[in-house]
Amino acid sequence: MADTSRHILGAYDDALSALQNDLLMMASLCERNLRNSLGCLLNRDEDLCNVIIADDEEIDQFEKHVDKTGIDLLRRFQPVASDLRQVVAAMKLSNNLERIADQAVNIARKARKLNRAPLIDEVNFLDPMYREVTSMLSDALRAYTESDIELAISIPPRDKKLDAMNHEITEKLTVRMTKSPERITDYLDLIFIARHLERAGDHTKNIAEDIVFAIAAEDIRHMGAQRPGSAADLRGDKPVEPVAAKAGASAVS
Amino acid sequence: METTQDIASTGKPAATAAGPDAAAPAAPRTAFEISSLNLWYGQKHAVEDVTINIPDRTITSIIGPSGCGKSTLLRCLNRMHELVPKSRMTGSILFFGQDLYAPQIDPAVIRRRIGMVFQKSNPFPTMSVAENVTVGLRLNGIRNRPFLRDRMEQSLRMAALWDEVKDDLGKPGVSLSGGQQQRLCIARAIATQPEVLLMDEPASALDPIATMKVEELIRQLSREYTIVIVTHNMQQASRVSDKTAFLYLGRLIEFSDTDQLFTRPRSKQTEDYISGRFG
Repeated sequence: MADTSRHILGAYDDALSALQNDLLMMASLCERNLRNSLGCLLNRDEDLCNVIIADDEEIDQFEKHVDKTGIDLLRRFQPVASDLRQVVAAMKLSNNLERIADQAVNIARKARKLNRAPLIDEVNFLDPMYREVTSMLSDALRAYTESDIELAISIPPRDKKLDAMNHEITEKLTVRMTKSPERITDYLDLIFIARHLERAGDHTKNIAEDIVFAIAAEDIRHMGAQRPGSAADLRGDKPVEPVAAKAGASAVS
Repeated sequence: METTQDIASTGKPAATAAGPDAAAPAAPRTAFEISSLNLWYGQKHAVEDVTINIPDRTITSIIGPSGCGKSTLLRCLNRMHELVPKSRMTGSILFFGQDLYAPQIDPAVIRRRIGMVFQKSNPFPTMSVAENVTVGLRLNGIRNRPFLRDRMEQSLRMAALWDEVKDDLGKPGVSLSGGQQQRLCIARAIATQPEVLLMDEPASALDPIATMKVEELIRQLSREYTIVIVTHNMQQASRVSDKTAFLYLGRLIEFSDTDQLFTRPRSKQTEDYISGRFG
């Protein structure tokens, strides 16, 4: 068997590599914006809020560029099997990354508004949620770059934890509203920020699911309790080593 | 004992109709049951230990690099390989439960039930469009003109060619375009009402539009025929077939539903071949 690490068409490898590089560049900008979004609130940094809002335009352009590159690649090479999954996953990832960046912008806008009012201590309620969602995104991107299926599979269950945190923060802030009605608008903004973080978690979960599909050809979306807990739980019809001597007998379906 | 006459006249064999398949109507019928098939051309081992079941009324594609045994396997299905000197075969092929290679089976009769379309269209140059379609029937002794006329029109309609040639039925078959000639050959193949159509790269010499017409025709015909198609064009296999077999160096590497084979192949060799990493 020939060396199978590279495609016969070098241009295909180059095109796929360019697509993945664009996606990683977009992912790093998106991750930075999400990390900065709460930082600009906790540190009351209005300039940083403005940077996040301005940077979103660049992420939007990356999304369009990744889509165009992906469509060009599909048109020129008609990839199949893992190649096809890689291209489709890259296009879906870019869409989810762009939405995460939108959530970061929403948070930055709310932060800019909150920073103009007196400090409220309840801002710190958001910190654990923020840490969890940025950690999830960081792990998802590592799972993508390292094709780490175990790491990708471990991410969707963490979204449940995020949902619970959001629910808890909302309840706490609702109680505070009744105690300090003069700051009701600020508490509402904090509730919205928690919701934006929760939505960023949803998109991160989507990214992890798409990574599992790209690596193992396994669709783990909307499986509820049936969702695999590890790579060992997958159905096992992903690419395997060549069928050995009795290829004919074992290949009959 | 089963005779050549039985296999020629009854279509699907009576033994099969009353056999296990009939007792389990929900189960898909198997057109070809190929077991441990080996074929040599002289010293060359062209097909190695292939076991595969080809279901009835589906389109099965055979893909693989040049020289992997695709066309040889196809030709085993209507005993065409026997026309090659020094060919030798072991294993068995059951056709709707009947042994294709039983001593009493006449290969000529088998080829009437299992039609074949070749890579290069080959209409008879001295015959008209109409004569090309009915030549098989006339060779079988059918002289009834209204019957021949009806069958010709029916076959040309099934081959999606009638509207294009109905006013030129007397013109030479070779005067048609390449794509039309190939569809004429398909019309000729189905005029004798075979049960199976074997196609050896039927669109490889055609332009993209003619290829699409032939592919659409293959889809239409699969409602009534079992179709086995050898193709180098993996997109074509992916587009038209229900099942796909991947052969490499004479061996069957993988046989799966087409959508599975082209999205999540089980074998790494399949993955590497279809994604263009060797071949």
